[in-house]
Amino acid sequence: MKQLIRALLAVLIVSFALIVIVYRLNTAQGYTSGNTLTIFNWGDYIDEELIEKFEEETGIKVIYETFDSNEAMLTKIEQGGTSYDIAVPSEYIIDKMREEDLLLPIDHSKVPNLQYIDSRFLDLPFDHGNKYSVPYFWGTVGILYNTNILGDREITSWNDLWDPDFKNQILLVDSAREVMGMALNSLGYSLNDKDKNHLLEAKQKIDSLTPNIKAIVGDENRLLLQNEEAAIGLVWSGTAQEIMWENENVEYVVPEEGSNLWFDNMVIPKTAKNPEAAHQFINFMLDPEVAAQNTDYVGYSTPNIEALKYMDEETVNDERFYPDEEMTAKLEVYENLGKRMLAYYNDLFLEFKMHKK
Amino acid sequence: MKKISKLSTIYLIVMFFILYAPIFYLMFYSFNSGETMYQFESFTLDWYKELFGNTRLLIIVLNTAIIALLSATISTILGVAGALAIYYARRRRVKNTLLSLNNVLIVSPDVIIGASFLILFTMIGIKLGFISVLLAHIAFSVPIVVIMVLPKIEEMNTSMIYAALDLGASRWNVLTKVILPYITPGIFAGFFMALTYSLDDFAVTFFVTGNGFTTLSVEIYSLARRGVSLNINALSSLLFVFTMLLVVGYYFITKRNNRPNRLGVRQ
Repeated sequence: MKQLIRALLAVLIVSFALIVIVYRLNTAQGYTSGNTLTIFNWGDYIDEELIEKFEEETGIKVIYETFDSNEAMLTKIEQGGTSYDIAVPSEYIIDKMREEDLLLPIDHSKVPNLQYIDSRFLDLPFDHGNKYSVPYFWGTVGILYNTNILGDREITSWNDLWDPDFKNQILLVDSAREVMGMALNSLGYSLNDKDKNHLLEAKQKIDSLTPNIKAIVGDENRLLLQNEEAAIGLVWSGTAQEIMWENENVEYVVPEEGSNLWFDNMVIPKTAKNPEAAHQFINFMLDPEVAAQNTDYVGYSTPNIEALKYMDEETVNDERFYPDEEMTAKLEVYENLGKRMLAYYNDLFLEFKMHKK
Repeated sequence: MKKISKLSTIYLIVMFFILYAPIFYLMFYSFNSGETMYQFESFTLDWYKELFGNTRLLIIVLNTAIIALLSATISTILGVAGALAIYYARRRRVKNTLLSLNNVLIVSPDVIIGASFLILFTMIGIKLGFISVLLAHIAFSVPIVVIMVLPKIEEMNTSMIYAALDLGASRWNVLTKVILPYITPGIFAGFFMALTYSLDDFAVTFFVTGNGFTTLSVEIYSLARRGVSLNINALSSLLFVFTMLLVVGYYFITKRNNRPNRLGVRQ
């Protein structure tokens, strides 16, 4: 019995000491002052120096948390019990969050820097008048290919991928809408197509791509493509940029048939504790110099026109990442398909994944 | 003891190699000065330096330790009480039902336990954070402690209890002077099991963390999603070494407790 009591006391003393240490550390870091801002963002999606700069400028302490999929983020916010002041979801989720009344409206008078955003990226169908969201980054879906492996073969369209020369060379992303969208675009349909015949046709078309597919992967595609484990990849433009920084032999192309145009926007969830600081942060991120620095770090395309002036001309004029008007006209934003249609897309994608090679 | 045949020695070596190789591979690359695990460039301790320079991470490590210690302690107390209750259950039916209910909790998938805690906590309005993680950890540790302690109680000779009662011991005396000293090794085993479960639990914790509070395994997961920094290797190596130390510590404690010629009664 004595032994047990001694052990119990020892454990309690150690825990108490640890709690004191943690409390001290937290206070030293300023996390207990009450003036904090909790940000919920994608992994590696901000230049952390900017967070420090924001803290210095405003005296607000930032707590930074990350998520890895829109759905995971949505669940945490829907369930409540959390108090994120800022979240950065993609456009189709914003539509959903708006419908479910999970967002606070953004007071435009507190975000004067909104004037620097390209009007092309404002007032889009998922959030008319930008009542609830402010663009953070945007990008495309396209094809990344390695000239070292493929020689001087050039890829310009989705249909090029069906070339038998590319046997076992293609990495797809494990995401229903991207892959189905690729097939629909290659057939000349819209990637928001709801016609079941078109969808079945698209499914058959990707089935016929299977000999060329090496694997269907997630985020690890970046390393695989970078290390030349595969020659061709279906990627988001930001991933492409990151790979190009590491490997000079790759090319990125937005296929000529058209592709997806996506946005990640900053929103203020309904559960926010410090909406005032959230507005300050949004305004801070829209500052042209800040946006330019962030874009340099993250590699996705910024919607901030003024920021382009602070960036390398080479980057800004790169049509692969800042496509011209003619190309943007061919790009489509994902529309909210509705639950049943989305389930149908997912089913077809699942069937495709089970298709025998 | 019978001599172990050559074949089984080889089998053992191969099995242990397969089990430990990934861990050592990961530890090896935590000393790599390059950026990836594809080739080893040269030896460096930079990743460890980076880890220790990171206050946020330090706070997370300490939080994980606090959660583990507190949840293990509380669940040990609850678990011992639970084990005694199961032992003292008169009717066999009740006893078996209690035991099965306990075992169901052990085998049910962590994801389901985690999700149901998330729903429960948000429904009754507990903020996700320290308290929610602590409660969840206590909850999944209690059945483990029960399982570790119960066999020790069952193996106890009941005549000891009757003898104590005959000699005029009160119920409380029987508990503190006879039963608890006898099952002490089981209690410690339960405590250490709960401790390791809490330290490395990911699935349940993942659901109930929030508001800036995370534990190490959840943090490692989100670091890994962010890209493959060798930081993760360094952190995981430290965690592995720490767990090894725990196991060694546990070994010595049980060894001390298993000294022969103990009759189970202590002053």
